Order: sequence, then C-alpha cells, then structure tokens
Amino acid sequence: MSLTFRLLIPLLLASFAWGEHTSNWAVLVSTSRFWFNYRHLANVLSLYRTVKRLGIPDSQIILMLPDDMACNPRNAFPGTVYNNADRALDLYGDNIEVDYRGYEVTVENFIRLMTDRVSEDMPRSKRLLTDDRSNILVYMTGHGGNEFLKFQDAEEISAFDLADAFEQMWEKKRYHEILFMIDTCQANTMYSKFYSPNILATGSSEIDQSSYSHHADNDVGVAVIDRYTYYNLDFLETQVREPTSKLTMGDLFDSYDEEKIHSHPGVRYDLFPGGEAVARSRLVMDFFGNVQNVEVEGGISRNETAWQEELAAIERMINEARRSHNESLTARPQPAAEEAKIGETKQAIRKEGAMRVDGESGWSKQLVGATALLGCVGIWAAGSWLEKL
Amino acid sequence: MRRLQSSTSDYYERLLLRPLPQSSLLASFNFRSNESSTSFEQQNFRYFPRSLGQILQHAHTKELHLRFSLGRWDAASWGQRPWDGAREGGTGVELWAWVEAQSEEEAFSRWLTLTNALSGLFCASLNFIDATKTIRPVMSFQPEGDHHDSSNLHLLHGTLPHEVVCTENLTPFLKLLPCKGKAGISSLLDGHKLFDATWQTMSIDVRPICEIGGSECILEMEQTVDMVLDVDRSKRPRDNPIPRPLPIEEIACDTSKHYNAEDTCYPLDKSAEPSWNLTEIFGRPMKGACPLTDEESEGSKTVCINVPPERTVQVNTTGPYVETKQADDTVRCYKLPTGVDFDLLLPEQQMNTALVFPQPPLFAARSINGHGQERGSVQAVIRNPSLTEAVEFVYLESLPWFMKPYLHTLRARLSTSPGNPIKETYYRPAVDRHRGTHLELRMSIPPDSTLTLTYDFDKAILRYTEYPPDANRGFDVAPAVIRLISHHSSAKSGIYLRTTSLLLPLPTPDFSMPYNVIILTSTVMALGFGNIFNLLVRRFVGADEVQTMGAGGLKGVIKGKIERLKARFLGKGKKDQ
Repeated sequence: MSLTFRLLIPLLLASFAWGEHTSNWAVLVSTSRFWFNYRHLANVLSLYRTVKRLGIPDSQIILMLPDDMACNPRNAFPGTVYNNADRALDLYGDNIEVDYRGYEVTVENFIRLMTDRVSEDMPRSKRLLTDDRSNILVYMTGHGGNEFLKFQDAEEISAFDLADAFEQMWEKKRYHEILFMIDTCQANTMYSKFYSPNILATGSSEIDQSSYSHHADNDVGVAVIDRYTYYNLDFLETQVREPTSKLTMGDLFDSYDEEKIHSHPGVRYDLFPGGEAVARSRLVMDFFGNVQNVEVEGGISRNETAWQEELAAIERMINEARRSHNESLTARPQPAAEEAKIGETKQAIRKEGAMRVDGESGWSKQLVGATALLGCVGIWAAGSWLEKL
Repeated sequence: MRRLQSSTSDYYERLLLRPLPQSSLLASFNFRSNESSTSFEQQNFRYFPRSLGQILQHAHTKELHLRFSLGRWDAASWGQRPWDGAREGGTGVELWAWVEAQSEEEAFSRWLTLTNALSGLFCASLNFIDATKTIRPVMSFQPEGDHHDSSNLHLLHGTLPHEVVCTENLTPFLKLLPCKGKAGISSLLDGHKLFDATWQTMSIDVRPICEIGGSECILEMEQTVDMVLDVDRSKRPRDNPIPRPLPIEEIACDTSKHYNAEDTCYPLDKSAEPSWNLTEIFGRPMKGACPLTDEESEGSKTVCINVPPERTVQVNTTGPYVETKQADDTVRCYKLPTGVDFDLLLPEQQMNTALVFPQPPLFAARSINGHGQERGSVQAVIRNPSLTEAVEFVYLESLPWFMKPYLHTLRARLSTSPGNPIKETYYRPAVDRHRGTHLELRMSIPPDSTLTLTYDFDKAILRYTEYPPDANRGFDVAPAVIRLISHHSSAKSGIYLRTTSLLLPLPTPDFSMPYNVIILTSTVMALGFGNIFNLLVRRFVGADEVQTMGAGGLKGVIKGKIERLKARFLGKGKKDQ
C-alpha cells in the first residue's frame, strides 16, 4: 500500500507539472517617438515596474523605448517619468535597464528579437533567450490602425508579420504560452491574424475604435497614461499585491469596464488549448510574475539512491577538475610555447589610417605642367607644319 | 600577507567639491580599482568588475576609454576643465580603445565585438558605431597605459553625438563599483540630479600600468563622474521642481530705482555665497565611507572641498570623522565615518576673498555657416589667451559621410601673423555609406592671438530609407577634439578640450510624398483604365431599349434570349405585314 502510494505521488506531481512553465519573460515595447507621445512610454514603464515588482528580473525583461522622456529637455521633472498626475510613483527610478532605445526600436529589430535571428555579437541582454517552457508577456503600445502598428512614425508592423513571427517562435520551440497585450487604436485587429497555438491575446479596442488617453498632467504638459493600460494597472496594483496571488486571467478580463475604458477591449481565446475555460483559469502570475517550477525529470523511474549516486559523480567531477587545474598551475611556465608564439607575431599591416597630406610648395609641379603644355603645343605645331608640306 | 594583497589589488575613491562662479558647484567623483594582470588573466576578479573584464578579454582590448557626456563646460567663467579635459568626452557617447590584432580587418571585427558587448552592458546604442563612425586617429590620442608590445595594437575611435545619456547609463556604471552606490561617495550619485546638471560627464578608463623595470603589471580601472550643478536649481524639491515666484516680502529690492514701490520691485543681485548642503544638492545623504577604501593613508580622506579659508564648513554626522587642511587651507579633506550618514553644511556667507581659478590654455568654438540645402562651411575659432606662450595642438575632426568637406578650401588664419599655422595634415576622405571623413591637423598659435579655421562642405542627399524617424531635427556632427602637445603637463593622459557638437540640417523630403504619389497615380490609373475597359467590353444601349428581365440567373438569361429571338422573328413578321 505504502509503496504504491509512494509511486503515485510523484506520478501525480509529474502530471501536474506537465504543461507548466519554468521561466517568465516580458517583452515591453513602446513604438512612439516624440514628446507628445509621453503616455506610450509611461504605459510601458508602468508595466515594467509591475512585472519587476512581481518578480521578473531585469535580465528577463526586454524593454524597448524609442525616445528619451526622462532626460528630455522638455521634461520639467528631470530623470523621472510619471504615469499619474499625483506623481506618487517615479517610473524611471534609480535602477532601470533599457535594452533597445532610440533608433534601435525598429520593426526589424523587434522581429529579430522575437525569432532570435541576431548576429553573433549581439549581447545577451538584448536577446530573448526563451525555450519551450517559457511564458512570455508581450506588451505593445503606440499608434496603430486596422491590422498595423506604427513604429516611430516611420514604418509599420502588420498583423500578418506579427502572426508569422509568433508562428516561427512556436516552430523553434521558443515559448510555452504567450500573453499578447496591445494598447493602440483598433488594437484587436492586431491579434486577429494569429494562427499559432498557446497564445492568449487581448487588446484595447475593436476595429474602427480609438483608444483614448486617461488624463493629463498640467506640469508635465501632456497626457500621461492610456485608459486601457490604466485600468489594467489598476487591477494589477490593487488586486495582485504579492507573488502568491491566485487571481486568474479571467478575473483580469472581467475587470475591464467599457464605460471607463471608452472602447471595447477584446480577448482571443481560440488559440489556447482548452479554449476559453482553460485560458481564463490561468493565473495572472503565470504571465506577470516569475514563478519557477522545478521539474523532476523522469518522475517515477527514479529511485531513492539515484540522487546520491549523482551527487557522488558530481563530487568526483569536481575533484577531477580541481586536480587538473592544480596540475596546469604547476606546469604553467611554458617558455617554449610562448617563444613560438612570439615568433609568429609579426608587425601588423596598416593601411586603413589617414594619410599625410603635404601642401604643394616650390615650382616643380608647375614646371612639369608647363613642360607638358609646351610639348603639346609643339606636337600640334609640328603636325600642322607637316600637313603644309 | 594582507598588506601585500591590498597593494596589488586596492580600491580608491575621492570626491572633490569646488564652488564655481554664478552659484554653480563642480563635483568631481573619482574611483580607481586595481587588479594584478596575472589574476586578471586567470579571471580572478576582486575589485575589477567581472562583467567588463570578460568583455575586454573577449574583444582583446588592452586599453579602453568610454565617455558619456551632456551639456557644455563654460570655460569663460569656470576656468580650466577638471582633469585637464582628459576625463571628458564629446556630447553623447565617445569610445576609443587599443585593440590587439594581427591585421586591420581583425582589429575592426574585434572593435565591433567590443562595441556590441558594451552596448549591452551600458544600455547605450554603442552598436551604432560602425565603419562610418569609426576612425583611426594618428596624433590625437596616446596610450595612457604601459604596453610591452605596441606593434599589434590598433587604436580605434568612435563617437555617437546624438546619443542620449540618462539614468539607464548610470545604473550599470554604479554596478561596476565595488560599493555599488550603497556606501561611500557613490551613494550621492542620483540620476535625478546628475542628468539635471548644467554639464556632466561620466568616464571609464582601463589601462595596464607596469612598474619601471619590473615585470609585474596591474590593470587599473578609473571611473570618474564630473558635474556642474546649479545650486539654486538643485535645491528645488524633486516633486516641485518648477520655479515659482517668491512672495514680494522675501525679495530684497533695489530701493534706489524710482519705480520702487510696494508692488514693484527690482530684485537685487545676491552677493553672498549661497547656502547649501550635500543632502539638499544631491537629493540624498551620503551613507558614510565605503569600507573597501584604505583605512590609514592618504586614500582614506575621501571627501575634499576647495573653498577659501574664510568659508565656514560645518560637518553634520554622528560618527567620528577627521578633518585635514591642505594647500594653504584652501582644500579641506574629510575622512568619513563608516555606517552613518555624513553631510557638509555651508551657510550663506558674505565673502571677502575668492579663489582664483586657473585659466584654460585654449578657448575653442565651432559653428556651421552658410545657408541653403546644398552646401555650407564650418568655422572653428580657437583662441590662445596666454600673453607669453605659444600653444601647439592637434585638431581632430570626425565627420559623417553625408557631410563632404573640400580639403582645398581649408584655410587657417591667424589674427596676429600672416603665416600658415598648419604644420601637418592627416586626411582620409569619406566614401559614401562606408566611412566618414577623418581630418587631423597639427597647428600652433602664437601668444594672445586667435586662429580661425574654415572649410566648405557639400551636403549629401540620403536615400529614402536612410533617414531617421526624426530627420527634420537635423543630424549631429561629432565635436572636434583638441589635444595640446606643447604644454607642460605632468600627467600622461594629456590636456584636451572639445568643442560642442553641431546640428547639420540636411535636405529632407516630405515623407508622405510616396504615399501621395501612389494614391494619385492609382486614382489616375483607375479612372483611365476603368473608362477604357467599359468602352471595350460593354455595349451601350438606350434606356428604353432595355427589356425588363424576369427572374435573374441562368433561367432569366435563357428566357431573355428566347424573348429576343421571338421578338426578331415576330418583328420580321410584323414588318412583312
């Protein structure tokens, strides 16, 4: 009895753990440049503060800010960005890491980030190093329209591009589940073309609907936050107070009040396995927080002594590494090898640098020119003289 | 044993405060950490930050200089630059490094690796330093460190004059420090005040230093932050920074004005030195000493203030501190207590004496002249204020490829003598979209005279996709770097000054134009094609000729056909009648 029970518990746990994620990532994108779009950067920074508060570390947040609001000369509050006229919370704070900023925020860079098609020199902090057990929150805000979102007022990403990027991510096993959130005009059209599984998508407004800003700060001089983001934050900040929160995505979606948001937020459940019921039962913390589930490989096939054997094996490896390191330390002086290396190094060839330019002095070049001219005249004269004969 | 360790890998920090005219305050932060090169190679990091160390090893960089700067140093009223200008950069981001490589191509690929890695570390777009923004200066920079084998070292230099410097650059900068901004003088560094400064520059310098004759080398990393704060501006509370007018009772009025009345006031200039304290100016208190600094020697006096001896300086702390005076009492240094807050208070005071600031060896200003979208000219005015000494210097320009100078128009005129001040010229012309112009001049100015350097340039027209999103703002041109070579300077780092960056307006198209063209041509095409198509495939009949159809569809068509046939035969029959 006790043996079967013992075997049953890990089995149960394994089946429970199956379908869970082991890391959380957030991609937070603002796509608007210029001071009057302050609210879009404030939207993104508000989400950045929220996911950071709920436990996602800076190394797993990709923050894209296309313009500089905090140190903008127009900002009366240097080094700060506010999302509320009460100015209670400084979103920029003292500890912020912006991964893509300024001109780096482009459609190409965004798609390259999502699909991880980057050059080998790309630093790790600018890459989305997810796997098939990563839950990703993708939040975008900016100015958009029917099936497109403008980037920096210069280019657009279409709903098809985005859908294809997500499909490529799915094919490359780069995510477990995605929560796609977008706050822009006609936002719901942006997720209408998605066709990859395990995506839960929500947007601020229907087709032919605008998304509106919430309120302005008179000292900042512009609107500071959008309505949809404001009420999302309202829920996340007042209800989801600690990482142990058991509130579900359904609770979040039910909190949307069309009267307050002034547009019709939409949710797309059909890509999620299990549909609406399963999607709504997902915890808010599955996407906005950082929950690290430890997964025991193999489940039941493991016996009591296996881990002790592994521990012993690791210890042997450590001892081996230590021994080889010590050996290499004693054998460190290798003059022969170094000499050979010195022999190889040769003077590097330089050809790329600037060249010395000397001013023309003296009459040598002028003389050469005059001689050449006189020679030409001579040949011409000789030719005409010969013709006369 | 412990003594030996602290001498090979130690940490040093110092803050120098110096009130400047116009109620400004210069704060110079300096942090130095050493690591012996053997432990650096074994990746055994103590004070040297691992994140930066590994990047330098990966990119084979032997010496690194990185600058983040903002604002303008007002040399006319503030005098000589801190560190003789050797620790500052041009507006935006400036980076130069000595990279070890066997060939130019390898050096450049390692340089790209370095810029990409640093862009991730410092949250700056340093990866935009590509071939068009990279130059190889000949005379302007000399290595500060001691390099055994310099034949394989390549100097590369890049600038990003448009780069914004903000809190996200300060965050990684502080994380490189051993005390991480939690204790010591770095606890004063707050982005809200640093980026509100009139002028600020952050620098990182890594160089190897070897004993003379010895084989043992250390790798020294120096980080500095220099800023000039406006005392009145910095004292404003952070939540209410917008200046509001004072009530009239609190303003000292000039009663000699004839219009002076109860409601009209001409405010008097304040002659007294303003009152301030560290907490107010920097927005946060100093959290005592960083425990990693040396306890006994000179390095323990971490906060120094350079004021006349008569100025009152009060210390506010609960812990033990030591005050020492240096340089005829004009520099007061403090050894900080550990673990408790430390503050300096300077009350408002009427001063009789003032400190004399050394004059800068050169003044430089640069501007773009001309009008129109096609061409312009650059004029740099460099003045030698010394009455006795001539100054020899190197002038370095790194221009973007879309600004094409004509070298034959380069003119240098002296205000005092007719001679040519240009001694040597190094030049590398631009290649469209591949590299920028590199111009380096060695010149000399006689005492008390002004040098005017001018050259003309053409503006290129960019391709449609090459314009940035804010093309109408203009394009930034990197500041010119001036290095003094004749001056007696003890420091190996040299004496530098930089001009301000320039804003170059380029011809910018109306970016909605392609859409307008597409829409217009589509409309014309649709109108023309539609008419021709209608003429070709439709038969035009009079309204009365059209017979009313029955039910639509195939049935209707057949019915119609039959009706038409019937009508023809019947019609014939009728005609026969």
